[in-house]
Amino acid sequence: MEDRLNEAQKIIDDMSKAVDISKIEDLIKDNKIVFMHKEKEYRVRLLDRGEKEELDMLRRKKFGQLIQDKDILLEKDLRVQYKERGLNIDEIDEAIKKLSAQEVNLQMSLGEAITKNESETIFNNYKEQIEEIRIEKQTKSAQKTILLEFSLENQLLNYVAEIITYLSLDIKTDTGRWVRLFKTIEDFRVYDDNELINTAGVYTMLLQYL
Amino acid sequence: MNIYSEIRLLAKSVRSQNLFTAAKEISSLQLFRNKFDLSAIQELYISYLYIYENINRDIIIDKISSHVLDCELFEDSYLLWKRKNKKSDKKQESKNEPEKAKDMHLVCGNKIIFPTEVK
Repeated sequence: MEDRLNEAQKIIDDMSKAVDISKIEDLIKDNKIVFMHKEKEYRVRLLDRGEKEELDMLRRKKFGQLIQDKDILLEKDLRVQYKERGLNIDEIDEAIKKLSAQEVNLQMSLGEAITKNESETIFNNYKEQIEEIRIEKQTKSAQKTILLEFSLENQLLNYVAEIITYLSLDIKTDTGRWVRLFKTIEDFRVYDDNELINTAGVYTMLLQYL
Repeated sequence: MNIYSEIRLLAKSVRSQNLFTAAKEISSLQLFRNKFDLSAIQELYISYLYIYENINRDIIIDKISSHVLDCELFEDSYLLWKRKNKKSDKKQESKNEPEKAKDMHLVCGNKIIFPTEVK
């Protein structure tokens, strides 16, 4: 009975893997990603030259605004303020670096064990140690990300991601033509379908950054 | 499953590997609809295609067992070990190598001076 259940689970796992793979194939087959939202067809694509220039102009403008705002600090200044309150981000960086070095050393040993075709117990032992280090590293990285969330650099990065979505999101018209969904940045700012913006944002990241 | 693992899974599949090999030999066969301006996700997929081609080659020549493909961590660790070992092997080789006659390199410039006598 247990064997049959295991077999059934394996079939379900294989099927879900096949579904995942076909979804990924859709995302990589072109440098544009087409998706449906509320029965309408949308797409995100790479920016053309003119749009890249617009992005650059908007980014510079935003940077100018942010740098004049005294409540928004640069990452280096934020680090100093945290240090004064007893939170040392440099120490977190150092800890991450040490953990990375440990991880690489363990990976090298695991790599060597693989070439020597050693036992599965040895492989799994290394695997467990590396996974533990990775969890610790992720925790520290998350801590750092939260602390620096409101730095000027991060705000600028988030803004750029938004602008790329604004520039690269198209909608298919009734005549089958693709046109930009937003004509101006103001249209984008007042748009209230957050679900669409978030979906487009995720796809945009796959095309531009990852 | 995260997006990276999904891309890896696709690049690792027999179908993708076969297509990749064929696309390298048949110029009219394309992996993507677009020929230029690859997206970030397409670039990542191509790098994984190369990685799995590399691992599969080592499995075929019995350098390693196919167990390496059991999990991503094994694959990454093996490739890291291989890359670092290659580097140290090369360093060792260049140290042990006796002084060979050096190749003649021509460098663009106003004037190329050839050696007057080659022994």
